[in-house]
Amino acid sequence: MRNPTTIEPVPGRTDEMIINMGPQHPATHGVLKVVIGLDGERITRAVPHIGFLHRNHEKIEEARTYTQIISYTDRMDYVSGLQNELPFILAVEDLLGVEVPPRAKLIRTIFFELFRIASHLVWLGTGMLDLGAITPFLYTFRDREKILEITEKTAGARMLPNYFTFGGVRRDVHPDFFKDVAAFLDFFETRLPDYYALVLDSPVFQARAVGVGVLSKERAIARGASGPVIRASGVPYDVRKAEPYDAYPELEFEIPTREEGDVYARFWVRFREMEESVKIIRQALEKVPKTGPYKGKVPPRVKPKPGARYRAVEIARGHLGAYVVSDGSEYPARIKHRSPSFANLQLIPDLFVGARFADAIAILSSLDPVFGEVDR
Amino acid sequence: MSLFAEVWDAVKAVAAGLETVHRRVKQPPATEFYPYKKPEIPPVSVQFLALIQNEDGTDRCVACLQCERVCPSQVITIERKRNPEGKGFVLERFDLDFANCMHCANCVEACPVSAIVTVGEFEHAVYDINFLKADKAFLDHIGHEAKIWYSPKFGVEMRTPEGKIVKAPPEMQPGGLAELLKEAEGGEGA
Ligand code: SF4
Ligand code: SF4
Repeated sequence: MRNPTTIEPVPGRTDEMIINMGPQHPATHGVLKVVIGLDGERITRAVPHIGFLHRNHEKIEEARTYTQIISYTDRMDYVSGLQNELPFILAVEDLLGVEVPPRAKLIRTIFFELFRIASHLVWLGTGMLDLGAITPFLYTFRDREKILEITEKTAGARMLPNYFTFGGVRRDVHPDFFKDVAAFLDFFETRLPDYYALVLDSPVFQARAVGVGVLSKERAIARGASGPVIRASGVPYDVRKAEPYDAYPELEFEIPTREEGDVYARFWVRFREMEESVKIIRQALEKVPKTGPYKGKVPPRVKPKPGARYRAVEIARGHLGAYVVSDGSEYPARIKHRSPSFANLQLIPDLFVGARFADAIAILSSLDPVFGEVDR
Repeated sequence: MSLFAEVWDAVKAVAAGLETVHRRVKQPPATEFYPYKKPEIPPVSVQFLALIQNEDGTDRCVACLQCERVCPSQVITIERKRNPEGKGFVLERFDLDFANCMHCANCVEACPVSAIVTVGEFEHAVYDINFLKADKAFLDHIGHEAKIWYSPKFGVEMRTPEGKIVKAPPEMQPGGLAELLKEAEGGEGA
């Protein structure tokens, strides 16, 4: 039987070369393989292969209790680890009927946005590495390190902290936390102009990015894209505004949107998002009470009522959702995660075909997939 | 755009990049000389776990099996027997496989008596993976070596040079801000 995911040479056509990009290609951000048909420099066909990192995530979670699952959800999108816990926790909180204290909501929001900055910094560093620029990589990882240190002081781990929990957060913040975050924001705001100068405003970068990999609004919606990818194509969809959760209803922020849909627009949207995150955290820092409850009342054994709930959040890559079906026992009957990178990766055939091979790398880094979450 | 203008733009861009980098050159390095200078890890950081023994050398652990039950990776193995003198249970065996532990600290959260704790000891790298299969003696040893540790029930605790276990000052406690603010107010009032 013909394997639908490979491409066969067209009989009689000798000018097409078929090559494999990945799964060990350094620019594929993990283990993605794309089978590409090339006519000279132009890509004629592209078929993505995923699944190299598949580890049966959802099935494992069905065999764990609700409390145990939180630490597994971290491991989906490991670059923005903490953000992944939230949709599952929100869904279970709804099923349990737990009240979250406002202070806990604000702390969660501060961490959530810090991890958005951290994740975008990793994307910027590695994305520019793909395009041949090494300096931004060194700078972004230095700045991200500060976020990880703040996280470790309070949450107990750097990337996969398992810190949010039903009804709030696991432990109160470190006494230095608010001071540290404010200091980081001040520091980061002095750094953002550097990134603009090195990347976004540089004509060298613009020559590689403007007009490359144009994604139309219709294609983006049809493929279920989300996050910065769809916002760069002119669709102002953001879960933080569409279905607000945690402290977002009380905070003011914009959804950066751009119409072009090319690589430059996707970079631009993420840059602006980092600025918005700084604004959000500043507001949250003003609102958050320094002391108070950090966790609502939750029964020691988490046993939600039978029922099902879907909740979504806007992580750095887009719309991440969790569908939890409870049968009233300690173990969930079914869990489904809807992950943004997986949907965004479907755009590969749309965007690659017709582009130059070197631009394929730029397009891929502007999609910013993380394979822990694509394959689950 | 003519070719000349394009080239000129590129040269200007490179110059602007160099200028940006040059402004930052004089800053102190962000890296640390790790093996020579050990970074300070906060006690809440989940690295090695340890079993804490009381000052008189008895186990804090009451063999309630809570940690074994909540561990998502199922790496804790406990065997217990009835306490011959008195109530409750005593440990016969407490094994923890750090090679498969996912450092989630669920066990630390679950322990009702703060026996299993996080210590800021992070040097896990070994040549043989079997070194990471810890038994009770090993976990006790880490607990004895630890100067500072954290558990949700008692907060951050420290061992004084004389071997006494005391609570750490509020600057190091999660949620210590409440106490600090109260102290500051009290200080102003007095
Ligand atoms: S940290 Fe988590 S995985 Fe490791 S022993 Fe404790 S509960 Fe198990
Ligand atoms: S939860 Fe604490 S007291 Fe209970 S068996 Fe584990 S270490 Fe011992």
